[in-house]
Amino acid sequence: MNRTSIVAPLLLIGVGVLFLARNLYPDLALIDYFARYWPVLLILWGVLRLAEVLFWAATDKGLPPSGISGMSGGEWILIFLLCMIGLSVHTIRGFETWWPHSGITMGGIDMFGESFEYPLAGEKAASKTPRVIIESFRGNARITGSDTTTVKVTGHKSIRSLEQSGADRANQDSPFEITGEGNELTIRTNQDHISGKQRITDDMEITVPKGATIEAHGRLGDFDVSDVTGNVEIVSDNAGVRLQNIGGEVKVDLRKSDIIRAVGVKGPVDLKGHGADVELQDIDGQVTIAGTYSGVIQFRNISKPLRFNGQQTDLNIERLPGQVRMALGDFTATNLVGPVRLNTRSRDVHISDFTNALEVSVERGDVELRPGKLPLARMDVHVNFGDVELKLPSAAKFDLTATTNRGETYTDFGAPLRSDNTGKGGGIRGSDGGPVITLQTERGKMSVLKATSDDKPFTPEVEAPPTAATPVKPLQKVEQ
Amino acid sequence: MTPGFLCAIRGPVMLITLGVLLSIHNFGTVSFARTWPVLLIVFGIFKLMERSGTRMPQ
Repeated sequence: MNRTSIVAPLLLIGVGVLFLARNLYPDLALIDYFARYWPVLLILWGVLRLAEVLFWAATDKGLPPSGISGMSGGEWILIFLLCMIGLSVHTIRGFETWWPHSGITMGGIDMFGESFEYPLAGEKAASKTPRVIIESFRGNARITGSDTTTVKVTGHKSIRSLEQSGADRANQDSPFEITGEGNELTIRTNQDHISGKQRITDDMEITVPKGATIEAHGRLGDFDVSDVTGNVEIVSDNAGVRLQNIGGEVKVDLRKSDIIRAVGVKGPVDLKGHGADVELQDIDGQVTIAGTYSGVIQFRNISKPLRFNGQQTDLNIERLPGQVRMALGDFTATNLVGPVRLNTRSRDVHISDFTNALEVSVERGDVELRPGKLPLARMDVHVNFGDVELKLPSAAKFDLTATTNRGETYTDFGAPLRSDNTGKGGGIRGSDGGPVITLQTERGKMSVLKATSDDKPFTPEVEAPPTAATPVKPLQKVEQ
Repeated sequence: MTPGFLCAIRGPVMLITLGVLLSIHNFGTVSFARTWPVLLIVFGIFKLMERSGTRMPQ
């Protein structure tokens, strides 16, 4: 009987599937999944080998000769490599530092340490428009502007330690303080004063004068900021950020985040870094986003230009009275003021109601356009691999050239459009003196249709629309 | 429970143990830095079982 293991072919299939998934859904956060779940591969591998050994034993085909382990040396080397890659990805993706600060705990007793809680409070007078700086810390902060001239902090500190005395000492060594005065206040948790085994988190409710400017630094934990008329700047290794009703400029720079949500910002919004979901609504300033966001990205009601510069997708919109939603392999937008420029690797694109000019370039994916309003916008669409469908209102004026290099053409619009087929591809052409419309696909079906009354604008399905009031929820504890 | 059988399943079982410990680490419950001695224990148990196996004449 051939004793070749089935693990190697399965491994090949697995790698193939992963790359295929990456090609089909380039925005899928495969690296994140790998960083989190890679040890499961080890378990699967072990289970498979164990099953094989048991199978050999059960079928009486004989066991491998005594002294030879169930796994070959080559396999162990592969496993070692897998561990190295897994651990480094896990560390790089910023889930946590893999090696603990305290070093290896030989006794293994430390895991029985408990969490001790200490109250946290401070108050300091400030001017009407102070700059409030929060120094880097672990934990959550909720910052609220109100009609006061003091900065007031309440909350609690959790210290994980083996015994009460150690926690007490750590508590004394990391005094909470508010320093500075008048125009510039610094909130300091002094967590870095503690070295060794205790882990500290501070959860703070901070009330600041309405006119305050916030500059917050965090290592792990969420920031909720609301009702502040100054600028807000947040820099963190790992945070969820929720902003509401901000009068100034917003800058958010995160290494990792599950959500960034901003509702009601008067100034410009600037996002950078890595994250998952992004939700922006009612923004009066210019929006600039440069980073990698793997989740659902939604924009609504943005009155200045929007510049989105992602890993796979670039998007420029002059003004967005409507909404845009980007999710896995999909781009849906409605009611845009152009010029609009979209450049994406692999998404199905649906756009309705746009003005001025539209420029779309898609590597792989279908494009569906429904300009609802007249006069039409200039359109320039290029698709490498995918179908293009344009639905025009019957009264539209245009100068249209639609071609496919390989695929069928279809039109039911009637005059002035004529379709001609040449070899494998074909074209639809016609003009009655309107704006220039150029549609092109290298490979795919090209259709130009007459819009019917059934064709509604695309309305992106909205997930949990941000409500006007901040949901009052208790600050969640940061996991130890 | 021949020594050959024990030897054969030692590798896979060690691998599964390693995978479980690292999973637990990744999900943030207990750090691998604290649980790694489990690997030594599992390995030791196998060695013990092999010894008691070889005492019997093959």
